[in-house]
Amino acid sequence: MGKALFLAPIVFMTLFFALPLALTVVWSVFERTMFWMEPGFTLFAYENFFFSARLENFLSSMWHSSISVVVAFIFGFPVAVFVRRRIPQVAQHRVILLFILPFMVSEIIRIFALRPVLQRTGLVNNVLLELGVITEPITVILYTPLGVIIGEVLSFLPFIVFAGFLAMEAVPKYIFEICDDLGAPRHRVFIDVILPLAAPGIFAGAVFIFVNGLGVALLPNILGGPGAVNAGLIATQAIAALDFPLAMAVSAIMMTTLLGLLYIGHRLFDLTRILSPIN
Amino acid sequence: MGDDYSSVWSYRLKWLYTLLVVFTLMLPVFYVIYVSFNQNGFGAAEYVFTFEWYGEIFSDLLLLGALGNTFILAGITLAVAVPMGLIAAKFYKATEAKLLTVSLLLSPLFVPADILGSALLVFFKNLNIACATIGEWLGVSWFDTWFELGYFSALVGLIIYTLPYIFVVILITMGRYNEQQTEAARSCGATAWQAFVQVEFPQIRAGVFSACAFAVILTFNEYTRTSLLKGGYDTITSVLISQMLNEGMSEQSYAMSSLISFIAIALIGSIILYTLVQSERLEREARAKAEPVMSG
Repeated sequence: MGKALFLAPIVFMTLFFALPLALTVVWSVFERTMFWMEPGFTLFAYENFFFSARLENFLSSMWHSSISVVVAFIFGFPVAVFVRRRIPQVAQHRVILLFILPFMVSEIIRIFALRPVLQRTGLVNNVLLELGVITEPITVILYTPLGVIIGEVLSFLPFIVFAGFLAMEAVPKYIFEICDDLGAPRHRVFIDVILPLAAPGIFAGAVFIFVNGLGVALLPNILGGPGAVNAGLIATQAIAALDFPLAMAVSAIMMTTLLGLLYIGHRLFDLTRILSPIN
Repeated sequence: MGDDYSSVWSYRLKWLYTLLVVFTLMLPVFYVIYVSFNQNGFGAAEYVFTFEWYGEIFSDLLLLGALGNTFILAGITLAVAVPMGLIAAKFYKATEAKLLTVSLLLSPLFVPADILGSALLVFFKNLNIACATIGEWLGVSWFDTWFELGYFSALVGLIIYTLPYIFVVILITMGRYNEQQTEAARSCGATAWQAFVQVEFPQIRAGVFSACAFAVILTFNEYTRTSLLKGGYDTITSVLISQMLNEGMSEQSYAMSSLISFIAIALIGSIILYTLVQSERLEREARAKAEPVMSG
């Protein structure tokens, strides 16, 4: 009895998480009926995905997501390095806790709140006009791909800080002292020492942002212009249109993308190294 | 190479940058809160402070019902997911198959909400059909509605969503606990349960509390999974989003967004403060015991 109880979370996750996601592959080849689907084998849903504007949308959302990953890394990772390197050990977690704060506000509010900030008459334009930096309101920052990228960076930046912070556990402080003593220039320290050691964590954070940029439908829905679509939005629109096989095909494609990325990452950097702090 | 110890200004600038990043992330929310107190709403030339819009939320019956539903979901998620996370963390410490366990428990973090929501929706619909078919076959109907979209399906989605966070938070606190204390307690004659409740739990209590806060806040804020899986009733975020999409950002939406953010920030803020004060106190006590003459 006691032993069985300890297996409960594993059983639950297998049954309600791993199983449904694995079954998406099966359901994606089912035949679509009027309101539902029936067992069968057809690649119609995949055809529907790969030979239409959906593929183009999917690829462009991948591109936007990649830009978000790079921007989030540039802004977020230095924070992780700074905290690990300069803040006393006991206080490090407290500084990192600050980045949980935005994460505690509902996603829909954070994303919606960007509208009054970025729109034509919004905060950013008002302040810039007031300061005389611009004479015309900037309109490319909302209802455009750029708007989606801004939303992605602001939504997911804390994750690169967390992942970077975990990753920097692999870079002991004395390494910086050795580099200093040997007179290594800053960029060499970064490229030759920090990056290789912290790579697994950085990669995990990057995959997280990339996949969520592809999968969170709210972002293009609220911040994107006409035609801004990512995988999550294709899936939810398919569900709304009662095209369940298509939704499942999108899910299966997303899961394949995710697993493929994690596999590549694992082969390149051994992702289990990230877990060393909790072992 | 320039060193921060020689240049205090570079250190200060880096601190400033860190705080600036947090501030930028929070800025849209702050702005929404600022607008919510304006009598004239967004974009008005004149700012008149008022609580009027907040009064209007509380007279909205639909919203109060949704608030009730949200609290029911949050309460049950808390009651189920936190013990589950605790059990999972204990299991992880004991098991040989660490990699498999941890991948299964953490991978929900990497699966976007809409994808997991859609997969679970179709999964439940299929279970539902399977139940109905088997029921018809056996001539019984009492399990027909088990997997219908409703509280159960929404809760499954929420537990999958919150479990990874709970698991990690508890596991990190458990990392500071020395297993030998349990062994000592056991060899003094304590049962496994006594050893856990009286020796281990007091030391990981802070982690369990923060996990509880996480579970409540994440459930409170969650929209995508719940909206796909909840069936017919409203939750606070579903009301908010339908209001925003139908009427644009009305004054009431600003007030409601601010209120929800206030609650979440206040909750997490007080938890963080509490754990900080608590850990500081424990540290001080431990230090006082270990080294009666304070050395820096």
